[in-house]
Amino acid sequence: MKNVTGDAEKCKEALKKLLPAEDFLTFDFCSAGGAAFCVVFADPLTDKDLLGQQVISPLQNYRGKLRAEDVAEAIFSPETKTEKSVEKLAEEVLSGNPVVLFSDMDMAVVVGTKKIPVRAVAEPPTDVTIKGPREGFIEDFKTNTALVRRRLKTGELKIDTLNVGRRSSTTVAVCYLEGTASQKTVEEVKQKLNEIDIDVIPDSSYLTHFLASRPYSLVKQVGTTEKPDIFAAKLAEGRVGLLVDGSPIALTLPYLLIEDFQSSEDYFVPPYRATFTRLLRLFALLVAIYLPAFYVAAQLFKLQLFPVKLLLTIAGSIRDIPFSPSLEMLLVLLVLEVLNEASIRMPKYVGMALSVVGALVLGETAVSAGFVSTPAIIIIAFSGIGLYAVPNLIEQTSVLRLAMLLVAGSVGTYGIILATAFVILYLVTTENFGAPLVAPFAPVMGRDLRDSIVKYNLGSLDKRPKTLKSPNRRRLA
Amino acid sequence: MRIGKFLQTVPMKLWLILAAAVLFSFFSNDFGLVDIQKTAIILAAGIDKTEAGFSVTTQIAVPKGSDRTTGGTSSVEIDAEGETVSDCISLIFSKTGWVPKLVFCNLIVLGEDAAKEEDAVAHLNYFLRNDYMPDSCLLAVCEGKAGELISSTSAIDDASSLAIGKLFSEAAVKSGKVLTNTLKDFAIDYYGVSKCSYLPYIRMTPQEGGQNDSQTAAGGSGGGSSSGGGQEEQQVYSAEETALFKEGKMVGLLPREQTLALSLLKGNVFTGTFNTEDGGKPVTLTVIKNDGGVSLDSAHAPKATLSLSVTVRLCCRGVTAPVEDIASDSVPEEILENAKATLEGYEEKLWELCKTSGCDVFQLTKMLYRSSLKKYSEWKDVLLETVTPAIETKVISMK
Amino acid sequence: MNKISTRQLLFFLACITPVGKIVILPALLSETAKNDLLFPFIASYLLQAAAVFCALLAAKKGLNFYELLAHTFGQIAAKILVTLYALFLLFAGLLPILEQKLFVQSVFYDTLPSLVAFAPYFLFAVYLMAKPLSSHGRVWDILAPLSVIGIAGIFVLSFGSADFAALLPVGAAGGKGFLEGTMSATAWFFDAALLLPLLGKFEYKKGLAWKGTLCYLAGGAAAAFFVAMFYAIFQEIAPNQLFAFTATSKYFSGITMLGRIDYLFIFALALVMAFYVTLPLEAGIECVLEAYGRPRYLHTGLAVAVTAVFLLITALLDYRFTEVLDAVTKTAFWIIPAFSLAAPPLLLPLRRKQHADR
Repeated sequence: MKNVTGDAEKCKEALKKLLPAEDFLTFDFCSAGGAAFCVVFADPLTDKDLLGQQVISPLQNYRGKLRAEDVAEAIFSPETKTEKSVEKLAEEVLSGNPVVLFSDMDMAVVVGTKKIPVRAVAEPPTDVTIKGPREGFIEDFKTNTALVRRRLKTGELKIDTLNVGRRSSTTVAVCYLEGTASQKTVEEVKQKLNEIDIDVIPDSSYLTHFLASRPYSLVKQVGTTEKPDIFAAKLAEGRVGLLVDGSPIALTLPYLLIEDFQSSEDYFVPPYRATFTRLLRLFALLVAIYLPAFYVAAQLFKLQLFPVKLLLTIAGSIRDIPFSPSLEMLLVLLVLEVLNEASIRMPKYVGMALSVVGALVLGETAVSAGFVSTPAIIIIAFSGIGLYAVPNLIEQTSVLRLAMLLVAGSVGTYGIILATAFVILYLVTTENFGAPLVAPFAPVMGRDLRDSIVKYNLGSLDKRPKTLKSPNRRRLA
Repeated sequence: MRIGKFLQTVPMKLWLILAAAVLFSFFSNDFGLVDIQKTAIILAAGIDKTEAGFSVTTQIAVPKGSDRTTGGTSSVEIDAEGETVSDCISLIFSKTGWVPKLVFCNLIVLGEDAAKEEDAVAHLNYFLRNDYMPDSCLLAVCEGKAGELISSTSAIDDASSLAIGKLFSEAAVKSGKVLTNTLKDFAIDYYGVSKCSYLPYIRMTPQEGGQNDSQTAAGGSGGGSSSGGGQEEQQVYSAEETALFKEGKMVGLLPREQTLALSLLKGNVFTGTFNTEDGGKPVTLTVIKNDGGVSLDSAHAPKATLSLSVTVRLCCRGVTAPVEDIASDSVPEEILENAKATLEGYEEKLWELCKTSGCDVFQLTKMLYRSSLKKYSEWKDVLLETVTPAIETKVISMK
Repeated sequence: MNKISTRQLLFFLACITPVGKIVILPALLSETAKNDLLFPFIASYLLQAAAVFCALLAAKKGLNFYELLAHTFGQIAAKILVTLYALFLLFAGLLPILEQKLFVQSVFYDTLPSLVAFAPYFLFAVYLMAKPLSSHGRVWDILAPLSVIGIAGIFVLSFGSADFAALLPVGAAGGKGFLEGTMSATAWFFDAALLLPLLGKFEYKKGLAWKGTLCYLAGGAAAAFFVAMFYAIFQEIAPNQLFAFTATSKYFSGITMLGRIDYLFIFALALVMAFYVTLPLEAGIECVLEAYGRPRYLHTGLAVAVTAVFLLITALLDYRFTEVLDAVTKTAFWIIPAFSLAAPPLLLPLRRKQHADR
């Protein structure tokens, strides 16, 4: 590693060599004492007003000793540090922090005057609540840590930063409450992060692959949230959180499947309402996954699943349909997925028109043209809506729904039962960071069940989930 | 090392093969299974005895299509003759190309000849053996040919089976006007120690002035469905009588009064009515509470007790009555006495009919069997002839 | 996941084991023992409960099945015995799989499908058998409530159609009926045998043997009640109702309007059965792994091989269930009781510590 020498010019050359792009600028000036100073900074990432006021202006009047500590003291910024290594200095410049070089220096001075364009804190579109806080994380790491700190005003909140990514050098903060989170989990998370050898981490979702015990799994193994209140609540439960610079999505570990059936709102409404809503979510999810499959299986293999009058109605509807029941359902499901995908990606004004075209024109015309039957459209519509009752699991459940449909169309109801058995076996044998994915159901953890599908009164949730192996389980005094 | 590496990639390859197999079977979709579009949904079947063996008439639901503007169920009747019931069902398949599915068959009607001449269970054997046949299916006997009944045009419903199904509704059973039985219960009685059972007896009468531009039509013995359009006589059905069966053969017929008596003894009746007299004029009473039962005392010589208790209210009185009488629910004592006499008469007649036909419709043999194996062996063959009946009837007025 | 907890074991004994006994067995018992079907059923359950007690007591020694044998008889003899036992478990597992096949072909389809419809079960079986046996504990956590809901749902829907007087008169079938019934039930009673490969995978806690036996008997009581209800519903035609728990609930009045809602419960029990019928095979594999070590390739290889053999046998014995049943319950009726009733008590006197000269 190359260190700075007393020659500022040489050091500037070395830095320029490491940062040859044109948007890395240098500014040379002399102090009142006659010393030559040079500031190296990244043009788009540095607040030049602050640089002028806090760095250049005081140094132009500087008459003191040319020692890094003294120079740093003369600078009006609260964020200064000294650094010897040229590579480290280059990293600081890349992060937006200007570097001050001067003649006869022992070390260079780094000043924290970076200015990165950020958007305002707003309600995340994927996690809308009616009751409760509406703030969401943004892409700015500092803002995000501020949002967390605001909710956990305790020295026990540790935010340990690491840099991940050979090229991106993305800042990843490992957040946890000391004495509450399992130290073993914290260490394991840090170890896994340190082991990551990838060039760029553009988003937190990249990390999930490296943090999962089964990286190729369909099943989610890392919790995600865009809301600081949820993030803080999860830290308070004893989880470890990860904030990634440039990503509004925070990660939490260990992840339990039940988390996605819980909403922050559940804690702001009476427990019976929260229980009802959770049951509703579970029901909606099961309907979303199984309804198209059972509809097809019943038509192909087991008519008895329909009451006779419903059967006759369905039989009437599908009489002139040119496709087999399974193919018809697959077709409608694919159309739904395409519409869904397109409406997310399309510009808003087109998306609106597209949903009208999709829902009304396409559906209605397809039915009247005899391509598909009305019951198939109803089933898929119901399934499609059901999927959104648990928005965090959409990716997984939509694949599962398709798989169930294919199995149902191939083997019928027994196929669905076997596929369910597969899923159960897979889920119960999945663990991440020592926490079983389907806890507190398998293994059953009696007390943890109080905040699972059934939600007890807050007074009864006096202990932290056993699954998370927190050293301090008591929450309520 | 190589094996280890190979094994590591095996799961992924297996998943791919599995996915390919699922996709293949999904798109080929053929395990010799029959989907809804190839299926004949049989709603009802009628069985008649013919010289060749059997004639089975099935009523098959025909979907109306997505453009239908009116509700209801269209149906087509297909019949076939063969040596066995199974032959007939197979013939229906070969005639229509639809695979007959019995999973929704909710009514089997036996023609009178089929019920009287041979063991009915021999005709029903196919249905009892069939795993896909719901044994909760209703069973009945009809006057004349079952095929004609099934193929007839109902005045009240789209399909005759649906109209007949209404006769056997829960409400109808509670009225005491009809006694229903299912394939399962009939078989239990048949294979039980008494070997006696009963079935509702359906009569069909033309609805005067009623003709229908029907969508249903009877197929001839040549089979096949025929399209509707002809002007057919509309029929109404009644099942107030009950056929008695012994060892699978129809051995007697209970008229409507005895059907009511048997219903009352079973304790089934709620809001059913019966007539008695009040000073020579008819009066109708509504049963609002009914307890009934048959017990057998086999300590010495077997003695059966037919006990019946009904709570009644006045429904219709054939004499001029003051307004206070209309407002009151209580039944005068003399009417209660008459009602008791009427019901006892019904019960006596019921006992007589059962005894003469040899049908142990009260399942006395079963009671004896369950109470004592020794007594059962002693009395089983002569029970109905030797047992003395005691009739205990209580008619109470609603206050 | 490496250990089965006491709770999971009790869930298995109370909730999972009864499911296998309410499929074909009630119809078979009603054929042989008629209205006295409860007696052979209860007798079989009591005998098996005693064996379960012994099997659980053997866990006190803290050793697995192979170690228990090896400490007393030496490694070679233990290997032979364990291999024999594994073969027995595979033998015992055959009938439940054929039963499951018949059940699937009959209940899940409106027309009789080919064997292909049942073939995917073997894919599932490979996957399940390739997992460690101890991972079953968590599966039982999920299956236990499913089983309870399934059985309770069927009870509720069926109870109204039952005439329990049909179980009278007591003793009508006589000693012969009782004996034949007990013999035909043997094929379904080998739960204690399934516990032996689980030894060493759960910790013996005070009173576990009693608790386990009571749980097993509680499950048995539920199953016995179901068997009684089954006969009370079907009486003389009970032998004709091959798949008992799918047959009793269809007379519920709400079904006319709602359709076969009872299928929800039937499906739940079918899911439980898919795991339960695979357990003997998995237990057999576990025995071999305990004796010969457990490299991954051996475990997976055995899972694939056993499944392939069973797939072949199932294909060969297609629709020969009755013959297999006769073979298991009449010709070789002694095999299952010999292993499942005799093996657990025989383990009790075995040494806990390895013999010094071995």
